[in-house]
Amino acid sequence: MVETQNLFAWTKRHAWQGVLADGHYGKAGKSGVTVRLRTGPGIATFIASTEGHVAVGTAIRERLGLVLPLTPEALCAGHLQAVWNGPGQWLIIADNRERFQETLADLAKFGAVSDQSDSRAVLSLSGARVYDVLAKGVMIDLHPANFPIGAAASTSIAQVGASLWRRADDLAGPVFEVMVARSFFGSFWSWFSASAAEFGCTVQDEIQ
Amino acid sequence: MSAVPYRLASGGLIDRSRRVNFSFDGKTYQGYAGDTLASALLANGVRLVGRSFKYHRPRGILSAGPEEPNALVELRSGARREPNTRATVAELFDGLEAMSQNRWPSLAFDLMSINRLVSPALVAGFYYKTFMWPAAFWEKLYEPVIRRAAGLGRAAGAEDPDHYEKAFAFCDVLVIGGGPAGLSAALAAGRSGARVILCDEDFRLGGRLLAEKREIGGKPASEWLGATLAELESLPEVRIMPRTSIFGLYDHGVYGAVERVADHLPTPPAHQPRQRSWRIYAKRAILAAGALERPIVFAGNDLPGVMLAGAVRAYVNRYGVLPGREAVLFTAGDDGWTTARDIAAAGGRVVAVVDARWEASPNRQALADKIGARFFVGGVIESAGGGRQLRDVTVRDASGATTTLACDLLAVSNGWNPTLHLTSHQNGKPQWDEALQCFVPGNLPEGMSVAGSAAGHFTLTQALEDGAALGFEAVKSVGLKPSGAEPFQSTDPEAAGVTPVWRVAGAKGKAFVDYQNDVTDKDVEIAAREGFRPVEHLKRYTTLGMATDQGKTSNLSGLAIMAEQTGKTIPQTGTTTFRPPYTPVAIGVLAGHHRGREFRPVRLTPTHEASREMGAIFVESGQWLRAQYYPEPGESDWLVTVNREVMAVRSSVGICDVSTLGKIDIQGADAAEFLERAYINGWKALPVGKARYGLMLREDGFVMDDGTTSRLGENHFLMTTTTANAGRVMQHLEFCHQVLWPDLDVRMVSVSEQWAQVAVAGPRARDTLRGVVDAEHDLSNEAFPYLAAQEITVGGRIPARLFRISFSGELAYELAVPADYGDAMMRALMRAGEAFGITPYGTEALGVMRIEKGHVAGNELNGQTTARDLGLGKMMSTKKDYIGRIMAQRQALVAPDRPAFVGFKPVDPTQRLRAGAHFLSVGKAATMENDEGHMTSVAYSPHVKLWMGLGLIKNGPARIGERVRAYDPVRNGDVLVEICSPVFVDPEGVRLHG
Repeated sequence: MVETQNLFAWTKRHAWQGVLADGHYGKAGKSGVTVRLRTGPGIATFIASTEGHVAVGTAIRERLGLVLPLTPEALCAGHLQAVWNGPGQWLIIADNRERFQETLADLAKFGAVSDQSDSRAVLSLSGARVYDVLAKGVMIDLHPANFPIGAAASTSIAQVGASLWRRADDLAGPVFEVMVARSFFGSFWSWFSASAAEFGCTVQDEIQ
Repeated sequence: MSAVPYRLASGGLIDRSRRVNFSFDGKTYQGYAGDTLASALLANGVRLVGRSFKYHRPRGILSAGPEEPNALVELRSGARREPNTRATVAELFDGLEAMSQNRWPSLAFDLMSINRLVSPALVAGFYYKTFMWPAAFWEKLYEPVIRRAAGLGRAAGAEDPDHYEKAFAFCDVLVIGGGPAGLSAALAAGRSGARVILCDEDFRLGGRLLAEKREIGGKPASEWLGATLAELESLPEVRIMPRTSIFGLYDHGVYGAVERVADHLPTPPAHQPRQRSWRIYAKRAILAAGALERPIVFAGNDLPGVMLAGAVRAYVNRYGVLPGREAVLFTAGDDGWTTARDIAAAGGRVVAVVDARWEASPNRQALADKIGARFFVGGVIESAGGGRQLRDVTVRDASGATTTLACDLLAVSNGWNPTLHLTSHQNGKPQWDEALQCFVPGNLPEGMSVAGSAAGHFTLTQALEDGAALGFEAVKSVGLKPSGAEPFQSTDPEAAGVTPVWRVAGAKGKAFVDYQNDVTDKDVEIAAREGFRPVEHLKRYTTLGMATDQGKTSNLSGLAIMAEQTGKTIPQTGTTTFRPPYTPVAIGVLAGHHRGREFRPVRLTPTHEASREMGAIFVESGQWLRAQYYPEPGESDWLVTVNREVMAVRSSVGICDVSTLGKIDIQGADAAEFLERAYINGWKALPVGKARYGLMLREDGFVMDDGTTSRLGENHFLMTTTTANAGRVMQHLEFCHQVLWPDLDVRMVSVSEQWAQVAVAGPRARDTLRGVVDAEHDLSNEAFPYLAAQEITVGGRIPARLFRISFSGELAYELAVPADYGDAMMRALMRAGEAFGITPYGTEALGVMRIEKGHVAGNELNGQTTARDLGLGKMMSTKKDYIGRIMAQRQALVAPDRPAFVGFKPVDPTQRLRAGAHFLSVGKAATMENDEGHMTSVAYSPHVKLWMGLGLIKNGPARIGERVRAYDPVRNGDVLVEICSPVFVDPEGVRLHG
């Protein structure tokens, strides 16, 4: 038996690699839309036991400080986020994967946890024209009266299944996050970049 | 004479500081910003703009709006050429190229106008009657001739270079139409804080106010218009969308609209779409679409120079163009007099006003005297004369005497039809209003109200009042508090009485009902005589109301003449039910971004880039792109490549991406029980760390899907599904849990996207894996036997899952890593297997090897096969219940002679088999009665060196060794085959367990 361990360096290749890169797209000048990649977040599906969602919610709030919303909402607590994804089902998103497995182990005491960190791409969208871009694909009403900070939805954007939620505003105004399955990312970006081009679009890494 | 002979010296809403050059049929002309193509052509004295559909008669410009039936032109050139554009709504831009259509060789000299000589043969029903003559005539004579002679312009024939897109909008109140009614509705609603969308198809808001000299509140209406628009623009929740046509109403208050983002520019600015299709979700809608003026049917009424009176006012007042120097008015109501007044005010000469009404009126006489026009009370225009344009008209006065008057413009006023099209898109039937002599909206769609002319309220006063009232009402109905009402603003005096004249009979010459389809009053008479009297039959028989204008100017005249022919009233004769779209919509804008390769989303596997670099040819598999095969230099034929890949796997080692398989994470105390009920075979006894093949049925007992499922923990399973059924199986399991067995403690979620998975197959598979799996994991046959399934690590602590399962029949594994490492996994395996000549293989080789092993796949799991049919009946547990168990026992499904799964090989080993061939016993005729089943899959086996097949044949397993015909009439195939075991390679499974 030949032992040829670790002859090869395993480098990660993310969903967006080869699809988009930092820079300015579309119309020159000031960008109407800013796209920030959420690189390397921890993502997991958490499904509470069939009964006792509320009890589970209380326990998790005490343990992790995280509130599990009972309606379509995305709530933040520190570096964690809980996005309602169906009755008794949430997406748990951490800003990064540091100690993420420990968090998942904690959650696993209260239901089924499935790590999905590599399965989705998450983009953070902002800028003065962010509503105009989203209007080209989102079939739900994002008016602030109807979709305030913390609102979330599972929907289809340009024929791609997506989760969409609104985070706290930044200095430029409203901030949305959209999450799509990794295999669809190329097609999603094709639509998004074509839609954002007329407003000018800046893509930047989260870290910058 | 000036260079632009019919342009008035002043006036109009054109921007005289911005000259615009354009061309028509190759000749250059000048217009102004703010012109339409039609107004600019008229300003230049161009009146002949097209030839008619069937008779190739000369045609000019009838209207000034979207209803135009005649002035259809081709705009632009090359790939951007678009046919059938209405010159009356085409916004002029510098460099616009327009061409007339449906003429040959030129517009002025059109050889096809000889159709006019044979016109008696081209009357209503002509097209259908050709079908009754010898069939050979149709193909050789009628079809080519009709195609050449008829038609409406040419498509570009090249791919559209522009981008189109879709968009979605939501509002409390959608206001359709930016005339006085729509503007006051939008203002009333907008001031109350409602979310308002105001759409107008014109590039300039104002509707008829732009075409009229009117007063509101004692001041020119333009002041009111300016102030209203300024206020609307200042309201943050009001969105004004010019150049946007609402074309249809769909269920639940969803409106379809097209925004012409860049049609008014030579080419769209960089990064901008040409057009945008909107889907607007409106809680309430106010239809304020105005009205369309009606022509009168009389001989020669299609000559260039015969125009609608309201359109003439639009050209005079809005565009500063006098469409003719010597004008005659033919009116059936008060409205025509306004045109006479405006022509005179602009400096034109009004030769005569022919008012069909019998009542004398001192006011009208006074106006006629003032403008120096002859006044015919109770007169009609009997005919219009001229060659390529109007030369004179013949008036029949009240006494019946005729007078011929020379003129170059005949303005026709016959009252207006409310633009109520959207009210009937949800099956609403327009109702006849006897007093108004027009159809008005009937039962309205939910959430819609109708304001102003669209409701038959034709005066400006009514429009302003309606708009304000309905705006308030809409605001209240969506739960908002209306703001204070604006004080009523009076308008200048107005009158809208009309006694319509549907046709003037008795003169020689063709009198057109439908200009666009060349339907005359005689055609309607023929339809009546031949029994095509119901309105729907009238339309189909004569084509009245068809084509791009959908009868906007013709439907009512057609109905009226049919009513006259049958001695009925108009409402007894019928109504027209309008369907979307209101005006023509390009298919491209409905597709938006999703055309060509973007038609639907494409899914890429995590190993896509690695495969691409290795030269893979990809194949669409549902939405996925999968590596089909990896040709090497010098391999000219795919079969050569596939044979090499198969032989490499069977002799050494190969790898193949299987990430597209569905993967479902199933957890919970009852997870095993759940699988027990979903699958036909048993699961409770499956040990942790082992995988098992599973088969599930639909409720009706037929096979739904198959795959391996592994037990990762006591209460934790990982199910795999076929690529094709991944979504369907997930739905099915969710249904089972939520509806059938909500009491089971089980939770499931798709993890298909989380894991990249690669099959490593062949005698050197274990050796290859040794190079990537971390050293502490023992891969020996004893420690990791067939069907082992364990969580391991690779490449130095990277979490992974390893399954010893085989589709190829070789020693094989599937290795899964988190998707971000998929690319690295593929490359690491290639590196690790380098010494063994590792070969990447695609779906073709995968398919060959599964056929060699007699494994069923999509071709056999076709929704019509049972577990028994597929030779998997022994898997059907008798110790438990499961979905499909009872229904699978139906008599016909257990009949012994149902086609069952076996293998086939050609008796002559050089012959090729074809999937889809049907089986016949030797000596039996090729009839349905003798059909015994069919070949489901075939492939060339480089291992046994012949074409092999899998298929379903009656009593299959009992007939091993028998010869039958594989009959394929579609491809002239008739091959003698021998029924054999479906396992062509290693039937003992020695390789698998190696």
